[in-house]
Amino acid sequence: METYIINLLVLISINAILAVTLNFILGYAGIFSIAHALFFGVGAYAATFAAMKLGLDFTGATAFGMLLAALISLALALPALRVRGEYFVAASLGLQMLAITVFTEWKSVTGGIGGLTNIPPARIFGFTLTQPEHYLVLSLACLLAIILIIRALVRSSFGRSLKALRDDEAAASAFGKNVSVIKTSAVVLSSALAAVAGSLYASYLSFINVESFVLETSIQLMAMVIIGGTATLFGPVVGAVLIILLPAGLSYIPHLPATEIGSIQQIIYGLAMVLLMIFRPGGLWGFQENPKAHA
Amino acid sequence: MLFLQLVINGLQLGAIYALTAVGFSLIFGATKVFHVAHGAAFTIAAYLFWWIFTVLHIAWPVAVLAAVVASVVFGLAMERFIYRPIQRHEGAFFTVFIAAFGVQIIIQNLTGSVFGRGFASVTTSLSHSVEVLPGLFVAPIAWISLLIALVVFTALSLYLSRTHTGMAMRALSENPDLIRVFGLDPGRVAQCAFGIGSAMVVPGAILTSMTAGLNPAIGAHVMLISLAATIVGGIGSLRGAACGGFLLGLAENLALWRLDPQWSEAVTFVVLFLFIIFRPSGFFGRPQAAK
Repeated sequence: METYIINLLVLISINAILAVTLNFILGYAGIFSIAHALFFGVGAYAATFAAMKLGLDFTGATAFGMLLAALISLALALPALRVRGEYFVAASLGLQMLAITVFTEWKSVTGGIGGLTNIPPARIFGFTLTQPEHYLVLSLACLLAIILIIRALVRSSFGRSLKALRDDEAAASAFGKNVSVIKTSAVVLSSALAAVAGSLYASYLSFINVESFVLETSIQLMAMVIIGGTATLFGPVVGAVLIILLPAGLSYIPHLPATEIGSIQQIIYGLAMVLLMIFRPGGLWGFQENPKAHA
Repeated sequence: MLFLQLVINGLQLGAIYALTAVGFSLIFGATKVFHVAHGAAFTIAAYLFWWIFTVLHIAWPVAVLAAVVASVVFGLAMERFIYRPIQRHEGAFFTVFIAAFGVQIIIQNLTGSVFGRGFASVTTSLSHSVEVLPGLFVAPIAWISLLIALVVFTALSLYLSRTHTGMAMRALSENPDLIRVFGLDPGRVAQCAFGIGSAMVVPGAILTSMTAGLNPAIGAHVMLISLAATIVGGIGSLRGAACGGFLLGLAENLALWRLDPQWSEAVTFVVLFLFIIFRPSGFFGRPQAAK
């Protein structure tokens, strides 16, 4: 039972990292990416590669994953600079679909559909993480660090520039904001931080395959941000908690056929997305922190 | 011969994409709603047809009619109960997109629960390939697909250029205020666009059930490709959406000439991505994509 709860908490922290980093571009910068699972995947595969083939420890492997994710994210920044809303969604969709094919077909690095097994446990400053509790401490520490980084950024002049871009790009540009640099750095930063979650995930499960990095993952992450509340610091965390606990909670309802749990879970969050958009577009957390966040 | 075979397969697939893409484009043009749940109408129509025809063994015209009614009702209900309430507050693209995606997720999972998650297909003598030239196999369904696409597109262009509502629909995409000045109700015209656009998924849905077969995620898949086709063709241009559909169908099949089949979808999205970067307004679109 204890291990079960710790397992859930680790998964919540990892997903919260992804949701918080997605919210950074989606909520604050208005860059509506449905390719976030791609950077989660790049982080996971790259960190595994670094740990298994290059013998790096957790910090080294994570840094390698972040670097690679940052480089690849430039491909996402390019359409963000050039086209508006609908087109950017489609471009990020294109990248996500392309990434799925690459993750599946680049067998020498990603292990194909079968994925990679026997990923070594994380080693950090000479200490090897073997127990689930160790991973809980590590993932909570990463989550906290990332929330603090984003909090600092959002409150800095950089964060104000981002929000200005989201609300009126022409006006921000007229006030001398360098739109390209601001947008590109936001995308690069968000993607690099998402790679941290990938590295944690790979070393915690010691197994990864393409199933964890598909379009559905990106949409689930988007749902976490939206349900929790865009452009709020803790909204995405609330969304991650709700969405990860949902299947666990559903399994306690009696007489529910096990094969349908996945579907019911998806239907519930689909429904939540629809109802929230009609009645409370700011998300569950949204109204407390900043009622005008979505305007 | 392989090349010709791939061209014909590509045109057949392209017809299905083109039909779905034009429906989506019609709705977007007239209402500015980014109707991502268009794929859900496709899933509903396809599964209903399959269920009535192969499970209940009822004659095909009934199944086709049921599919048309179901997809039109779905489209109208989306407009009335989802998009209109959202746009009353604020018409943010963002909000509409998420709600539509939510509906897509709901329909996909409901379809899986109700009709089963396995593979479903309709077998008729139409899908048996015939050797028309030495080494070239074409099923009658390929000609039927192209013919249907031709008929539907001709009918649609006549409707848009000759009838009152059709002209109003085109006017609505140009200038919504002008519609009001002329004493027409934009809401009613939008409903027409949703009804007609949604009905246009039916031929593609039925053809897919006879050729590639169905699974609950098929609507989402076809929608992604149609979305790509709409953008490649130029958002708001029906002619562009149709050409984009055929282009992507061809690209997906011609890719097989040089690449393994698992890369064919990637080819589609590479084409989409390159278009967005280098020519975001598509073939026929006006340069409105760039900021």
